[in-house]
Amino acid sequence: MNAARFDAIVIGGGHNGLVTAAYLARAGRTVLVLERRPLLGGAAVTEEVFPGFKFSVFSYVVSLLRPEIIRDLNLPRHGLQILPLESTVTPLDNGDYLASWADPDETRRELCRHSPHDADAAVLFGRVMHHMAMAVKPILGMVPPDPTSLSPADVMGFLRLGGHFRSLGAERFHALHKLMTMSSADYLDEWFEFDPLKATKSASGIIGTFLGPRSPGSAYVLLHHYMGEIDGAFRAWGFQKGGTGAISESIARAAQAFGATIRTGAAVERVLTRDGQATGVALESGEEIAAKVVVSGLDPRLTFTKLVEPKQLPDDLVEGVRRYKFRGSSGKVNLALDGLPDLTCLPGVGPHLRGAISISPSLAYLERAYDDAKYGEFSSHPYMDIVIPSMIDPGMAPPGKHVMSIFVQYAPYALNGGWNDAKREAFGDAVVATLARYAPNLPSRILHRQVLTPADVERITGLSEGNIFQGELALQQLFFLRPVPAWAKYRTPVGGYWQCGAGTHPGGGIMGGSGRLAALEILKEGA
Amino acid sequence: MSRSFDAVVIGGGANGLVAATALGKSGLRVLLLEAAEALGGQSRLVEFAPGFRAAPLATDPGWLPPAVARATEIDSPARLSVEAPVTIAAAGEHLTLWRDTARAADAIRPLSHADAKRWPSFIARLRKLAGFLETLYRVPPPDVNAPAGELLSFIGLARRFRGLGREDMLEFLRTLPMSVWELLDDFFESGLLKAAVAPGGMVGVRQGPRSGGTGFALLHGLVGAEAGVARGRAPWRDGPEAFTRAAHEAALRAGVTVRTGAQVARIEVRDESVAGVVISTGETISTSRVLSTADAARTFLGWVDPVWLDPEFLHAVRNIRYRDSTAWVLYALAGLPEIPGLTPEALRGVITLTPSLKALEQAADCAKYGSMSERPHVEVTLPSLHFPGLAPEGKHVLVARVQHAPYRLGNGTAWDAAGRETLERAVTDAIAAVIPGFVGRVLHRTLLVPPDIEARFGLTAGAASHGEVALDQILFMRPVAGWARYATPIAGLYLGGAGAHPGPGVLGGPGWLAAQRLLGNRPVRAGESS
Repeated sequence: MNAARFDAIVIGGGHNGLVTAAYLARAGRTVLVLERRPLLGGAAVTEEVFPGFKFSVFSYVVSLLRPEIIRDLNLPRHGLQILPLESTVTPLDNGDYLASWADPDETRRELCRHSPHDADAAVLFGRVMHHMAMAVKPILGMVPPDPTSLSPADVMGFLRLGGHFRSLGAERFHALHKLMTMSSADYLDEWFEFDPLKATKSASGIIGTFLGPRSPGSAYVLLHHYMGEIDGAFRAWGFQKGGTGAISESIARAAQAFGATIRTGAAVERVLTRDGQATGVALESGEEIAAKVVVSGLDPRLTFTKLVEPKQLPDDLVEGVRRYKFRGSSGKVNLALDGLPDLTCLPGVGPHLRGAISISPSLAYLERAYDDAKYGEFSSHPYMDIVIPSMIDPGMAPPGKHVMSIFVQYAPYALNGGWNDAKREAFGDAVVATLARYAPNLPSRILHRQVLTPADVERITGLSEGNIFQGELALQQLFFLRPVPAWAKYRTPVGGYWQCGAGTHPGGGIMGGSGRLAALEILKEGA
Repeated sequence: MSRSFDAVVIGGGANGLVAATALGKSGLRVLLLEAAEALGGQSRLVEFAPGFRAAPLATDPGWLPPAVARATEIDSPARLSVEAPVTIAAAGEHLTLWRDTARAADAIRPLSHADAKRWPSFIARLRKLAGFLETLYRVPPPDVNAPAGELLSFIGLARRFRGLGREDMLEFLRTLPMSVWELLDDFFESGLLKAAVAPGGMVGVRQGPRSGGTGFALLHGLVGAEAGVARGRAPWRDGPEAFTRAAHEAALRAGVTVRTGAQVARIEVRDESVAGVVISTGETISTSRVLSTADAARTFLGWVDPVWLDPEFLHAVRNIRYRDSTAWVLYALAGLPEIPGLTPEALRGVITLTPSLKALEQAADCAKYGSMSERPHVEVTLPSLHFPGLAPEGKHVLVARVQHAPYRLGNGTAWDAAGRETLERAVTDAIAAVIPGFVGRVLHRTLLVPPDIEARFGLTAGAASHGEVALDQILFMRPVAGWARYATPIAGLYLGGAGAHPGPGVLGGPGWLAAQRLLGNRPVRAGESS
């Protein structure tokens, strides 16, 4: 056994693992982070996939990163720099477009063009969603209490929660209940009449989730994505200068500044235990490293069935992990371009290319895309969320050239017949062909293309079934049920072995909430 | 002529009869108004061909909470004691889920040993979780703004909840938002078994088995069901109208004046308070209290002058989703149909004809886009097996329940003859595929699409549910958020139909609770015995 002994070892150098490490190091603990890949970040990485072209390969925009983490870890000093993505343009099938711009007045005029009713409704809607995000915010920052427990901490937790809900008042509580239970399409139907607007808004409710806009539960995912906060502004998405990998690096630098040690290319094979207590880890290389505390940033399936022996765990936990739904549903296409796409609805180079382009022309379009996936095929006409990072951050591509990041849904992990090279290329072709309907010059601009299916995401990042949230954000997998009932407080049945990934509350997106809460719980135990 | 009553109850279905009885017993002079010529609401019989009758909406008669029966002194009718199992029959395969758990497990075993082993624990869990819903359904919905005094009732509820035990408590919370697909996948591997159980989660919803919340819908349909039952409540021994007769007698004993054939035209409001009810003949009945058991849309959008309602309330009522998307085909048959391989005993319950979860999901897809399913989910019952009086001697009635058939077809078009013909043929084909010679036995058939149900039963959009049984439309959200406790923005006007908590399938449940509210009675505590 290696002579070095750490207070804590964090398995996985994704952003949550790094956040946990940084908080533990900040509290004076000796911490070692072990990352299997040669680079840090997990799904938040920047890679030069083609010479001169850098991509945020998987996760590509940021808005959910908790402000307290940015403050506590002083991330701006370590390189965090978010450039705002200000607009969203949805090309419509009739050759027109629907846009929202940085300037609210301009957005209002644009909406009025399509529906004066919706322009008015949007103002109220924005206010309600803001209140809802505020209502949920305290919950994101709390360790989920166990409703079945009578321990003073849990009872207090629930009383606090009850008090919080009562303080919202009936109207907001009811609105929150609707968001927690409805489909995003039904929810938006109550507000708006212009279908492409509903479609574009509902798209936030399906991202990363195997749900259609008409599936109950998708409204919560919509809210989850509304909670992003950049400089105090809700629902503001941004792009990290240098790609999302630079976020991971800034957290890593903060951790190192607090004294944490980080090793890449160090794949953990299993957690070492003695008498039901974690004692360290064994690497695939055979090296063993001792530690008082071991924290897994991997998803629940890996945390409970790969890193430890399931027979060390109670049956209900093993059964709960088996039932936990991953169901990756999204893919990613990264394009290296020798010029900009020309949208038929907004020709030429304009401010719209500095924001997001959403391929969501109607609710039925999105729902049909889901229907394809439901029966095991990738969407022939998928939903896409497109950004051109090189427009905002020219360093991402060689001069005059561009990178385009295309988030695509749906691409089911469990594809009929399984994924292979031919299917991957067919999926990439469907994406490009669909996009060409709105930007006919795009295919001729493509220099290189990287297509990532959920199977690729799993293979490269380790995320089970390629689910970007380490498990679906479904109501039955949230809060005190995430990842598994009774094991939602970052602990595991193995003493000194903890979980800190997005498979715990509050879940996915580059948020860091799980990593922070896990660290605080570990420190509370006096580890 | 104008007459005056202390209270008028609108609707002569289960809720109306129970509410009127409760009000009458408390000493009020009560008038019950029913638009149809007969009482019974959704359990009313339809004579669809000479000598052939059926109660299509009451295949599952629902649960009568014992406390409601006791308090109203309704002679609770007996249930059929013979088996009424769930059978799935499709393309040469079949499976019967008997109420006797061991017998059901025996039937499952040829499909999967593992599933047979898990069946008893699955069915016991459903019973336990549905049992907790029963507790919730005896009391008004919990409300975040409830006065402190009522918190006591929640403590009782919390104690009951805890009584489930740690594992079942968590399972309860987990199951409600789940899809019935996921729920069944957690337990079973046999596709046929899963397809047999899943349709229970599709009753009263537009969604397919893959949609969140269908887990709740499945449990909701099992409230008050006997142990071992996978689907619904057993029929009354004395026919579909047994409860109506018993409740009618109780109402008369309580001094209620009952008028049938009295269609409400509007509810008169003065100074934001109820002043009376006008019926379609122009007659005005003056009263200061009206308890409507019609659905919320019909009551507020149909009968109340909108000047008395604030726009937000109206907006909320308009947003209630009435979209059961269910049609019925009633068949008059020359003889008893046979399904090869099935004993007559297996035909006594619900026979579901959709062979897989995938086919069920596909049947639901079309409704999302406003069209009817090309291959709808069809399940049939043979009520004349239990009640020979529903058909002429030696003949039979077959009721087919069909999903999905939306109220309005795509682009708001109405059902035309061609659309009806297409749906009817699809249903007949589905039945003929499992019953050889079925078409030759059909003497007559009647299709009831949602607009027909709306016209015949006074249900908005033909929704027997009075509002989709979805998680955002139950408890304190039913019928609309902020108005879940039976009172409405109009003083003296109360809602007590299935559109209010605890919703459809609980006979007299909403009516009873609404009557208590009207009378100003303290709500029953959940902890109190039933």
